[in-house]
Amino acid sequence: MAGLQTIIDYSNGLQIDRRKVVGIQYTRNEIPRVSQTPTKNPWKFTIQMPTNFRYNEARALLEEIDTLDRITPQVITFSNRPEFSWMFAYQGTMSQTAINTVRVQSFVGNQLTLTNLPVIPSSRVLFAKNDLIQIGNHTFPFTSTTQVTRGTGATVVVTTSRPNIITGSVVNDGITVGNACEFYMFCPNMPTYKLFVGGQQNSSNGSLINNALIEWSEAFEFYEFVGTA
Amino acid sequence: MENIPAVAGNKPLVINAEFIKLTIYNDVGNSANTNVYTFSSAYKSETIDGQAYTPLGGLLAVGVQQRDIRATSADTSITLSGIDGNNIYIALATKLKGSKIEITRGFYDNNYILSNTAHRFTGIVTSYNIGEDLALADDTDNFTVTVNASSFKAVLENRIAGRKTNPTSWQVFNSTDSSMNNIYSISDQNFDFGSPPLKKASTNSAAAQESEITSQSTQFYEGG
Repeated sequence: MAGLQTIIDYSNGLQIDRRKVVGIQYTRNEIPRVSQTPTKNPWKFTIQMPTNFRYNEARALLEEIDTLDRITPQVITFSNRPEFSWMFAYQGTMSQTAINTVRVQSFVGNQLTLTNLPVIPSSRVLFAKNDLIQIGNHTFPFTSTTQVTRGTGATVVVTTSRPNIITGSVVNDGITVGNACEFYMFCPNMPTYKLFVGGQQNSSNGSLINNALIEWSEAFEFYEFVGTA
Repeated sequence: MENIPAVAGNKPLVINAEFIKLTIYNDVGNSANTNVYTFSSAYKSETIDGQAYTPLGGLLAVGVQQRDIRATSADTSITLSGIDGNNIYIALATKLKGSKIEITRGFYDNNYILSNTAHRFTGIVTSYNIGEDLALADDTDNFTVTVNASSFKAVLENRIAGRKTNPTSWQVFNSTDSSMNNIYSISDQNFDFGSPPLKKASTNSAAAQESEITSQSTQFYEGG
């Protein structure tokens, strides 16, 4: 992975937007009237990049984002660097072995039913609020909107943040949780870059090596490429 | 009036999507020879009345659908993405004008499961437009396909029907019909019944009668 993943890896600010498409009106007696369109509800990230990239060190990145342009999606993850291990970290208590055995029994609307659950005390938390869940190899993560405990049944039902947008069958698929999940995104605003004075380095013989620093025209706005879900 | 449980009773939240069905008639003489295209703003494919509505049709917008208690001649439009080449194909390579368009609104429960539907509009495609939005300053170039539709009532209002009062028109259905054979002899004549036919009803009695009729009509409308 490169390009968009490099942007994630070096970012110094991340804004997350997964608001739904709604209509809100206030009547003359100030009663709110609310409607919602059940869309695929894509993830949207706005990523701030530092301006201290040296030109000679960033040339590969510049070529990669110019090649991606505003049209090409890539898979990104937040598990690529140890510094990000806290972000989207799994909050439940299942071991990795137990997670690997869990299977999807059904996923209708926003009700995800899981089976092949581990034998653990019923009060143990399988998913906490905001835990990421990825179904099989479909790189379109969902989050758990409630805390889900093991219970005593053969299955548990997870209410997800958005409905099942995956076109194909997910029955008997495995799951991935936490920051091991992957996102399939593109950057519809792909910022341009400016070279400005700075970044010069001294060579071993004391002479100055010309260079420049990179400044981005705006923040990177990643948008989930849900058309292929 | 149609009762839609999904929105009745001051619901705090209504989750709804639009479903568009476009039926293109390929052969005037064979109403069964059709192609059906569907579009929706829903997150997944839904089946309504046996018809699958794909969410990948590129629906961008649905125009206003006027709602009246009595039947009125309202128009609407739907806008499709022209980036999907299939939609431009539908506009250019099929008999789109005159196609039947049906708009249904689907209502979802809180678990995003389709629970109810309500029919919104049925009409006929009267025109289409393929627009290009080229903005070189922003390096963007987008195409949209806009389909305009009129309700059935508007179509009926514009329809010329019936027969003309001449022998040719009269004999379309019955070639031996002679009812209009003498129509040309009374063409452009005003009749003062009981009197010989004149070019214009110029007699005093006829003029008085016309004046009285006009006066009565005016009084009627003023009184109403």
